[in-house]
Amino acid sequence: MTDIVTGKPDRMVPVRTLFGIDSGLMVPAFSERDDHVPEVDEAYRFNPEVTLAILAGFMRERRVMVQGLHGTGKSTHIEQVAARLNWPCVRVNLDGHISRLDLVGKDAIIVRDDLQVTEFQEGIVPWALQRPMALIFDEYDAGRPDVMFVIQRILERDGKFTLLDQNRVIHPHPYFRLFATTNTVGLGNLNGMYHGTQLLNHAQMDRWNVVATLNYLPRAEEAGIVLARVPELADEAGRALIESMISVAELTRKGFATGDLSTLMSPRTVIDWAENCQIFRDPAMAFRLTFVNKCDEAERPIVAEYFQRCFDTELESAAEREARSTVAQ
Amino acid sequence: MTAARRQATRRAEQRQNLCAATVRALTGDAALHYRAGRLCRGLRPLPLHAPHLRTDPQVDDLVSLRGAADGAALRLTHSDAILHASLCPAGPVERLLFELFEQLRCEALAPASMPGLAQNLRHRFETWSRAFHRAGLTDGHLGILFFTVAQIVWSRLSGWPVLEETEGLIEATRAAIAPTLGVPLAALRRHRLDQERFAVHALELLRLVSQMMRDARAQSVEEDEPAPEDDEAVRAMFALWFDTDEGEQVDMGLAATGDSRVLRDAGHRYLAYTTRYDRELVPGSRIRSELLAEYRDQLDKRIAAQRINVPRLAYALKAALAVPQRDGWSFGEEQGRIDGRRLAQLVSSPAERRLFVLERHKPLADCVVSFLIDCSGSMRTYIEPVAMLVDVLTRALDQAGVASEVLGFSTGAWNGGRARLDWLAGGRPHHPGRLNEIAHLVFKDAATSWRRARADIAALFKADLFREGVDGEAVDWACARLRARAEARRILVVISDGSPMDSATAQVNDPYYLDNHLKQVVARNEAARDVELLGLGVGLDLSPYYRRCLAVDLSTPPDMALFGELVGWIGARR
Repeated sequence: MTDIVTGKPDRMVPVRTLFGIDSGLMVPAFSERDDHVPEVDEAYRFNPEVTLAILAGFMRERRVMVQGLHGTGKSTHIEQVAARLNWPCVRVNLDGHISRLDLVGKDAIIVRDDLQVTEFQEGIVPWALQRPMALIFDEYDAGRPDVMFVIQRILERDGKFTLLDQNRVIHPHPYFRLFATTNTVGLGNLNGMYHGTQLLNHAQMDRWNVVATLNYLPRAEEAGIVLARVPELADEAGRALIESMISVAELTRKGFATGDLSTLMSPRTVIDWAENCQIFRDPAMAFRLTFVNKCDEAERPIVAEYFQRCFDTELESAAEREARSTVAQ
Repeated sequence: MTAARRQATRRAEQRQNLCAATVRALTGDAALHYRAGRLCRGLRPLPLHAPHLRTDPQVDDLVSLRGAADGAALRLTHSDAILHASLCPAGPVERLLFELFEQLRCEALAPASMPGLAQNLRHRFETWSRAFHRAGLTDGHLGILFFTVAQIVWSRLSGWPVLEETEGLIEATRAAIAPTLGVPLAALRRHRLDQERFAVHALELLRLVSQMMRDARAQSVEEDEPAPEDDEAVRAMFALWFDTDEGEQVDMGLAATGDSRVLRDAGHRYLAYTTRYDRELVPGSRIRSELLAEYRDQLDKRIAAQRINVPRLAYALKAALAVPQRDGWSFGEEQGRIDGRRLAQLVSSPAERRLFVLERHKPLADCVVSFLIDCSGSMRTYIEPVAMLVDVLTRALDQAGVASEVLGFSTGAWNGGRARLDWLAGGRPHHPGRLNEIAHLVFKDAATSWRRARADIAALFKADLFREGVDGEAVDWACARLRARAEARRILVVISDGSPMDSATAQVNDPYYLDNHLKQVVARNEAARDVELLGLGVGLDLSPYYRRCLAVDLSTPPDMALFGELVGWIGARR
């Protein structure tokens, strides 16, 4: 790892060939792969706007936050950009129990020369800060706002980081990068879908230089992603199946927007459904197991209507429905 | 209402709600819903006049309902209503055909990824065709021509073969008109993606068809035949389809409603002639306490006889209305954060592991439910079951930790009272607006617990409170009271057995003045979305007024099944 501490991007690569985006931009990249560089997923499709935002983060040292509904592939998007640039990358999942000590570091007992000594162990933030590393805070809005103030300084460009326990000031590595993904825009759980998210401090929100929104993709792109994940469906019947699946997903999204449903199908759900179809060989059954059973009992008939529109079969036969309603009673 | 009938009504309602949900998902328009069997946006019925879109949820099969709903959704998505209206020809038959062509054009644009939707549309059109044919409407010249054109255009646009049953019937007509109509027909399919260019050819087709109709009629006159009756029937049917006026036939059990000219002419500005005599009363304080105690006793006996499991209702309400919220700490846990105060204990007894604290989450109901009871004269018959209903529900809400209000509305006098005398003295100005003394009644406010308000709720039994009803102002008043509360979720349940009624106001304005104002008020408050409005109809379907409504039969005292249903209905999201 010592060599990479001093390492820096040593070549410029064109965005057009690397990401398939129509842009003349050149971005810095590493030629050597490190353990921390994520694996490249060849099937991954890049959303032009979000990719450019993330690239701006890598090139110009912008602090980039990617916001979007669940299952749209926010974290994966950042990871895949890093993978193609060979940029080392660490993901930290925030939750309500991450404390200041976890992020900054703490005194820990270690054994040295057969003696127990107390030594300061750096947390993830100072560790990453000294390396050419992209640090991704996943579920940023799940972190407790009081704890998140730890990163307030490093959100500024050239913000130095002071370790109070050690009286040490850490200068960030020039190729350290910071990203975050979040479901909400820091205003809390407005639509009732993201329980456990926090209201973020807006003084901190303000320090993120770029906020990119990754929402649901156009049909064709989504179909491409599903197809790439489940290549068994590449024949004509399979493509028609995927089209119908995406139609159901779109109906659930609109149904969510109009307030008829309290859940919606993310691209991840569609992929899961397609994969489960391969296991169960029955789209209706796979759909019930993948999505319908996650829905509120009262909303299932509506989802069944959507399914009928797109598949021309009932989601469950009259006998099944009868059986279920008697059980419910 | 018999049980079977009630069940049928409920099933029809459920089907319609499902169709409405699908239309909303297909169009993305949250304001769409069915009101009295017609698709409406907000308050206004949508101008969808294609004959096969008319369905009756009580009679038609589910696939037909779906097909009609899908057709409407496609029409709303793919057709520009303003452009369509500007191109629409004048004659009734021409308009109907033009309407039909535009509808069929939109249906032809059904996305390929939704085969079920295409099947629903096909089923609906074929069912309509069959019904049209079986009703004997294809017997006359006009009827067969109309039917044939509809079949050909549908088949051409959708790509399905014409209905097999009538293929032989239309064969002759089809052969006769095909040469003339061939060119515009081909163009229809070619331009189905472009409404404006499609319309050019549709109008051309219309011109040819109406020419044929005129010829046919002239011929029959020449032959000195009296105008065939069936043609009359078809014409009557056309007229019926285009019956856009609100004078709809009133179904049994549906609240009677109409259009108020006075209110419309006034630019939908509702007036009250005078508010000098309006009062807000607490009826409990105006009744002798002995009488009140007697009423309460009577109410308690009735409720006891019904064996209602209130804790269970409270539990269901809590599950529906409460959301978990952080509420302090729970100490002495085996994991979590270290509790500094217990470190000494760790030293003294290292085996004791319960040194941690955890955040505690508790379901808290940040919600207020208000019941607004229509205290008009006709409600007096139902007041016993209504009082039981409200009393049990407030008690359950109380146990679930949800604030509740019990409100009522009536008038201070019959026939306008002092307000009308003022109006007479003022020289009877035209259309004075609402003309009565309004009485808003508070049986229990949100700050009072059920235990303390028990006696006041029993004041509902006082018969002379019940006079007339001005619903619109009362709903506004109740909503305003709810808005003044800090709770995040506010639910207003209006319990009523009919349309607003105030004889003096109806006499000096028009019969639907208060009715239309109620619709306005409800639509406005529903649109504001900060109060959820529910209409509980006592033996009556209130769907002309409220988007979310439920009709209950209170001829028998309410039982646990009814309460269970009500709790589910009140607690349902949105």
